[in-house]
Amino acid sequence: MSLLLGAFTMGLILSLLALGVFISFRIFAFPDITAEGSITLGAAVSAILLVQGWSPASATIVGFVAGAASGALTGILHTKFKINGLLSGILVMTALYSINLHVMGKSNVPLLSQKTLVTEAENLGPKFLGTATNLKLLGWEMNIKDTAVLVTSLVLITLVGWLMYAFFRTNVGTAMRATGDNPQMIRALGVSVDAMIILGLAISNGLIALSGALLAQYQGFADVQMGIGMVVWGLASVIIGEALVGPGHLGLTIVGAVMGSILFRLLVAIALRWGLNPNDLKLITAGFVFVALILPGILAKIKKPKLNHVGA
Amino acid sequence: MLELNKVRKTFNPGTPNEVRALQGVDLTIKERSFVIIIGTNGSGKSTLLNAVAGTFMVDSGAINLAGKNITRWSEHQRASMIGRVFQNPFSGTAPNMTIAENLALAARRGQPRGFGWALKKSMMDEMRERVRKLNMGLENRLGNIIGSLSGGQRQALTLLMSTWLKPKLLLLDEHTAALDPKSADQVIKLSDAVIKSEKLTAFMVTHSMQQAVNLGDRLIMVHKGDIIHDVEGAEKSRLRVSDLLDKFNEVRRREQLDESAAEILRKRYI
Repeated sequence: MSLLLGAFTMGLILSLLALGVFISFRIFAFPDITAEGSITLGAAVSAILLVQGWSPASATIVGFVAGAASGALTGILHTKFKINGLLSGILVMTALYSINLHVMGKSNVPLLSQKTLVTEAENLGPKFLGTATNLKLLGWEMNIKDTAVLVTSLVLITLVGWLMYAFFRTNVGTAMRATGDNPQMIRALGVSVDAMIILGLAISNGLIALSGALLAQYQGFADVQMGIGMVVWGLASVIIGEALVGPGHLGLTIVGAVMGSILFRLLVAIALRWGLNPNDLKLITAGFVFVALILPGILAKIKKPKLNHVGA
Repeated sequence: MLELNKVRKTFNPGTPNEVRALQGVDLTIKERSFVIIIGTNGSGKSTLLNAVAGTFMVDSGAINLAGKNITRWSEHQRASMIGRVFQNPFSGTAPNMTIAENLALAARRGQPRGFGWALKKSMMDEMRERVRKLNMGLENRLGNIIGSLSGGQRQALTLLMSTWLKPKLLLLDEHTAALDPKSADQVIKLSDAVIKSEKLTAFMVTHSMQQAVNLGDRLIMVHKGDIIHDVEGAEKSRLRVSDLLDKFNEVRRREQLDESAAEILRKRYI
């Protein structure tokens, strides 16, 4: 049970990564690889601030802001200096690797004795759910601290998801969605496409860095390597989410990305339990995303001749 | 109202693909004037429109609109004064967003967009009212995504969007060329009606001689990046399709003459 509980919490924390990837890949169709650097940046900044005795909430917020700045930088490289989108992200990601090492001062910062958002959430457990170590729910034995962390993450992610949904329904947010959908039209309606891309990538990477900050506090360390493969993980979550809820409705897509992230972590946890070599995880994820990307085209090809046949 | 002063634009200068699209265009348009622009393919008529819209910056010359020098304004800055409908029905609307969302975007053309809700109840009523006037049965489908509509419906909505806030200048770039005849007719009628009722200053590029004759109070013919004919008022209203065809033939003859002359010279000297 604690395995599932952990996977669930991990899925919730990484759903912020999925939401960030959703903004860049789905709203702007912008392959933003900055994520691999910004998730580590969020983790590094908040970890080092926690070590220096900052309060967990402010350390996490500064992590978010740092990520947003790196996203804005990618946006500026792309729009103001006309550098290819993928390359802009690669440049910032590469630069961030050095910056992250400088921020942390070493390649790994442990957070075992620090007060973090996770330890604070754990302390909420006994306050609300009683002082027993374990809690019985629907016949399951659950560690009360783990449950408290899960519930807190759920509340936090619900809040962030709702904020994002609300934002995309404001005038600015609607203009941002239209920028991805039809830049020519939104320019003719007086919106600066450049400003929208910079702002959008800032929000996207802010969310991703927030995910990194929470991840570092949850797993108890920040590591300079932790960002590797994260874009594909986020993309896998978004794709699973779309399969779950279908495309179209904005609110459902956001919920779908969160659900996709949780489902993905559960699948990973189960696969590892069954004896999957952890070294193969990224290979299998990349393979999964590859299949998910080409599957719609193949299905359409298979379906088409049949339809013609029925028509004739 | 709109003044173009010796406007020049050359695409791909210094390469084999060099195109001198605008060669010192001078043009003044009065307020409330409805100007039709015709010309052969590649004559520069759409380029002229795009120069005003700010799709590109002109090489030299000045563009003034409503007393402001907009020559160096970017495209989205000019949008506060200019409404546009494009040739491609897919260009003017966001396909994956609803009719209501598209209209809400247009309702803030050129204005600051804050964090207020894009769709408000009061606004929805106004939308329904104004969409009903298009006579396309779209007023009860405001929640549908635009991508599910036909080209004619999308173009009619784009027209509504471009004139939702009264523009100082309306630019119509062959906006019925990609539509079937019936939809084209509908969109043209809507365009003419809104230009008349809102007393707009408008600029319309067209390939249709019939539209060129029936609509507008001034007609400009563009050829090789310059204005070669300019008629207005009574003279414009007397114009018939045959007159326009004559003018096109004249241009073509002149061109053929140029080509055959060049051919003779080539044979003789090379």
